[in-house]
Amino acid sequence: MALFTLQDISVAYNKQNILKDFNLEIEKGKLVSLLGPSGCGKTTTLRLIAGFLQANEGKFLFKEKDYTKVPVNKRNFGFVFQNYALFPHLSIFDNIAFGLRLRKNSKSEIEKKVMNVLEIVNLKGFEKRYPQELSGGQKQRVAIARALVIEPDILLFDEPLSNLDANLRVNMRVEIRRIQQELGITTVYVSHDQEECFSISDQVAIMNKGIIEQLSDPATIYKYPQTKFVADFIGFKNFIEFDKRTDHEDKIELNKSGYSFVLHKDAQMTNASGKIGAIRPDDLLIREKEDMGAVLENSLSGRVKVSTYLGRSYQYVVETPIGDFTVNKEMTESYRTGQEIILEIPRNQMVLVD
Amino acid sequence: MKKRYLYLLLLPGLLFLTIFMIIPILLTIGTTFFTENGFSIQGYLDFFKDRYFIEILLTTLRVSLFTTIICILLGFPAAYYISKLKQRKKAIMLLLTIFPLLTSPVVRSFSWMVIIGKNGVVNKMLMGMGLIEQPLDILYTPTAIIIGLVHLFLPLIIVTLVGVMENIETDLLKAAESLGASRLAVFSKVIIPLSVPGLVIGSILVFVGSFTAYTTPALLGGKQRVISTFLYQNAITLNEWQVASIVATIMIAVTVLIISIMNGLAKKLNPKG
Repeated sequence: MALFTLQDISVAYNKQNILKDFNLEIEKGKLVSLLGPSGCGKTTTLRLIAGFLQANEGKFLFKEKDYTKVPVNKRNFGFVFQNYALFPHLSIFDNIAFGLRLRKNSKSEIEKKVMNVLEIVNLKGFEKRYPQELSGGQKQRVAIARALVIEPDILLFDEPLSNLDANLRVNMRVEIRRIQQELGITTVYVSHDQEECFSISDQVAIMNKGIIEQLSDPATIYKYPQTKFVADFIGFKNFIEFDKRTDHEDKIELNKSGYSFVLHKDAQMTNASGKIGAIRPDDLLIREKEDMGAVLENSLSGRVKVSTYLGRSYQYVVETPIGDFTVNKEMTESYRTGQEIILEIPRNQMVLVD
Repeated sequence: MKKRYLYLLLLPGLLFLTIFMIIPILLTIGTTFFTENGFSIQGYLDFFKDRYFIEILLTTLRVSLFTTIICILLGFPAAYYISKLKQRKKAIMLLLTIFPLLTSPVVRSFSWMVIIGKNGVVNKMLMGMGLIEQPLDILYTPTAIIIGLVHLFLPLIIVTLVGVMENIETDLLKAAESLGASRLAVFSKVIIPLSVPGLVIGSILVFVGSFTAYTTPALLGGKQRVISTFLYQNAITLNEWQVASIVATIMIAVTVLIISIMNGLAKKLNPKG
């Protein structure tokens, strides 16, 4: 059963729709991340859940109660900001105790809870310091502790790691996931970093222009994107718009300008109606023309148009009768620009999207 | 240019201040301790025994304190409103705020006389509405001085506070709300503490300004003396320069004392501000 639900939400600024007929359900104890390019509505969604902004239409249900009009300070949701938002005039102890004091906890209770949460975020001994004296990673841990200590029903993260350097970001996301799982706290996490979202989430919602394009577990999204936008966003750089699709029991036949291709079919996962084929640059195969004996299936003849050295591999743009393809290939010596080659699309590597 | 010679740039200003301010002030203070019979603090002792003088000193302190409190109460919400405006509107509002400063205090005091005098606008209106039968005595009282001083100093405290409040991140207010703070709690636990630096500077400006103001109390106070008009009277009218010097020294001492008290208070309220 869903812990909370966003129902037919619409939000508009200056007559521009940020969210339109938006729906989202999140289960208790799960970490769900909202991923998408800037302007896709992910931060708006998060602020809506927090109560920082009101929807023009639609409902927000929490434990089946209507929370749409409940003000921020009555929601008991923890919020962690991108820029930490620690109170500069309060010590670390007082920053964390802020929410507890508002809840009229007794002095000894506050002391106990603050010390406990400082231990969870590995910041014992820092309680007398002030925010200005901490590093970025420490500040963010204080911010997390401050949100956790009020025992929130939902924990909300707004790009919490984007101000940290790369190494620290990896450590912190492991830490966030550990704390989230230890406490079993329902969490919504906003980021534009794909790797970050995939590594810590139970479920990822890929957003674009105010709607969720796909909501699934990370592995499913990675392997079976459902729309062209999702596929493009997670690195399927090559797309073929087929003219015809014929479904068989365990395979699909596809046609494009007289060329035909065969695709492996997974009854559960394969998109039932999509006619756009998507494939990653890493999954395409290139062969030298002379190698080919018999005509292989799913193959096209092509010509290397651009060759770029990427360090571990070469990236080629290959020109074929049905369009250009980007291919990555690990090798010591490159194909020459202008060289004729054969391009093969493995039958189990292409996915169909809407 | 080498860095250690940079201080030479300070020299012209420093020279000017030393000759025309620091030396005269030291001389003024010095003369108060020397009479024909050598060093003595008798002048001060006489002063603090004089009930008339003590009353003037207390009135001046009271007037300055009330002016400062009223300026804070009126200025704080206005400054918060202005600090939340968009850039363009903010510039316009700040311009309007400092607009009164463009008129001379003399002109402003005269216009207050017209407004709060016995036959002034305020009394006429109140009597017309039947709220009072006799005109109120506002002009030539400490109240009149306070009104004039608030008018004079409100822009200062607003401008100082806007400068500080602009730098309070909105995310801090949101963070407080998400932790359960009501609007009132956000105001008292976040906005006010973070405005303390501006409040202190603004209050010092207003308090010291009110304590030493001359024109406004001279015109609106009538027979009601404050310390600056008392000093003027001794020096110019009575030609008692020794007394005037002692009054001046007391004024300097009180000012320094007040600034240090307020700074101490600020440190307590905002240890890392």
